[in-house]
Amino acid sequence: MTIKKPFRPGDLIDIQVRPVRLWTQSLSWLLFLAGIVLYAQFSISRHRENPEDRVVPSLNQLVQGVKASVLEPAEEDDPIDSNAALFERLRHSMLWKDTVASARRFFIALALLLPAVLLGLHMAVFPYADAVFLRFVLFLDKIIALSLLPILFIVFGIEEWSKIMLMVIGVAPTLILDTCNISRSVPREQIVKAFTLKSTNADVAYRVILKQVMPQIINSVRLNLKPLALFLFAGEMIASTDGLAYRIAIMRRHMGMDIILPYLLWVALLLFVLDSLLRFANRRLHPWFQPL
Amino acid sequence: MAVLFAGLWSQAGWAAPTPTFTVGWSVYAGWNPYYYMARSGILKRWADKYGVIIKVQRFDYAASLDAFVAKNIDACTMTNMEALDMPAAAGVDSTAIILGDYSNGNDAVLVRNSLKLSDLPGKPVLLVQKTVSEYLLERAMDLNGLSGQLSRLKLLNTSDSDIVGAFLGNKGNQVAVTWKPLVSEILAQDPSVKKVFDSSQIPGEILDLLVVRSEVLQRSDGSGARFAKAVTGAWYETVAQLTGSGAVASAAISGSAAASNDSVDSYKEQLKTTHLFTSPQLAAQFASSPDLKQKMELVRQFCFRHALLGQNILSVDDVAIAYPDGGVQGKKDRVRLRIDASYSQMAAQGKL
Repeated sequence: MTIKKPFRPGDLIDIQVRPVRLWTQSLSWLLFLAGIVLYAQFSISRHRENPEDRVVPSLNQLVQGVKASVLEPAEEDDPIDSNAALFERLRHSMLWKDTVASARRFFIALALLLPAVLLGLHMAVFPYADAVFLRFVLFLDKIIALSLLPILFIVFGIEEWSKIMLMVIGVAPTLILDTCNISRSVPREQIVKAFTLKSTNADVAYRVILKQVMPQIINSVRLNLKPLALFLFAGEMIASTDGLAYRIAIMRRHMGMDIILPYLLWVALLLFVLDSLLRFANRRLHPWFQPL
Repeated sequence: MAVLFAGLWSQAGWAAPTPTFTVGWSVYAGWNPYYYMARSGILKRWADKYGVIIKVQRFDYAASLDAFVAKNIDACTMTNMEALDMPAAAGVDSTAIILGDYSNGNDAVLVRNSLKLSDLPGKPVLLVQKTVSEYLLERAMDLNGLSGQLSRLKLLNTSDSDIVGAFLGNKGNQVAVTWKPLVSEILAQDPSVKKVFDSSQIPGEILDLLVVRSEVLQRSDGSGARFAKAVTGAWYETVAQLTGSGAVASAAISGSAAASNDSVDSYKEQLKTTHLFTSPQLAAQFASSPDLKQKMELVRQFCFRHALLGQNILSVDDVAIAYPDGGVQGKKDRVRLRIDASYSQMAAQGKL
């Protein structure tokens, strides 16, 4: 049985202190609470001065904004009967439409990044692949993808593909180099050993190396989710007819912060969920992998 | 001792800060003169006359509106549409003190392959949505009896910084709506592109204003009103120079062209399609005319239809506009935008 000692201020700088779980749990919410309080404070003071303020919307305005985006169709679409079933209304809502459009672009880009991972692996394993690609990928990695956008518009048109390619070009070089580095860190002895056990080249590449670096590659993809979203947003804000960032760009034009703020939180939630799914999958698929 | 004290006292009185005001402007043919006005010393002279300090600061257009709504600047150049849907709709009581000009061809609908307006439905249209570009497009369709087709237009929101490249780079994009100097750039680079509609067909509907927060004008020490007088006086002096002749005019024109790094020729070309109110009489006359009410009616209905007045605004009358003759469009207790001709009138009567 552990003896509960009362909290002493000195504990704050004690490395070996073992705080009670309840304490650590509540402390982890502290900054969220502070953020909400600050926002409310700011919003209330601005509304006292100007009851119609749109820069820092009040809770009431935010609720209205959420309702409008979750239950009402986008302005450019046909209105939906307000008596329709909840599911129907959700399915035709502005938020759903934008989420589907953005998610589609996001996942196509993600799928196109799979070859990038394989390329990275091959560069690490096969000296000829390394000779052909490494220098070029290192160069490509230093190109600021956003500055290529005007060229992408010309090559891929202004609709879907320019945005998807922006994401792929922006993230692929990093992912290739990272995969390459990770794969190289597999000890040489293992490879030699595999060959002495009569492995083929393919066995070594895919069953020895790829298999054991897989969890690290998934972690690398997780870290790259945010740049991916960043490029998606950049593309959608510059030229688009739908999508989450399109709506934010449009709303910005007349300070629709009551829609923009819920959208920001929604995007954050989606990214968080996707990241958690990958982390969970990683733990399930590779229980032997213990991150350092 | 008493003398010393009196001396200190008067010194303190002397050092009382001069009220300072900031005017935000953004690059546009009709607003570039603000840059020249500040650089040439015209503004300083008028500000000194009225005992205020006036700073002039350049912004991107969207950023200037944000700064104005956030009350970081006291006055800002904007169109009549944005005056209504940004500050006014956000509850910031605003007053337009200068009607500088209206777009008389600066905004245009451009097409490839000699398309007609009736061919537009179904084809992607490149434009910055929810701005005067979309307004112009709707008016074009309306005036040509195509208002029934409006819902079939396929609008592609394209940032103004990329619209020229996106339109010229891909022949598949057949329609774009934008403004000068982008219009001139597109027409110069691709002779096959044609203009099917421009703002000279809706004169006076896209107005370029100088808007001041009403609370600034009503400051109890009168400094806000002095500021408005100083800016108005300086503006009409600048416009007189710009539209005059001889060395003074060419200095004003090259000074204004420099504001946007335009060549003098290109700026002159832009001025041709900008209907400047060259004298305070003309501006005051237009501000007081029933014509303006009709045009603002079209604009406010557009803003309401597109929810630009805010999600919670249920009636177009909730963001009301007051006119110089005392008339109000909308609910009398919800006046958010005021058109004020009094400063122009003072200028016209030589009372500034």
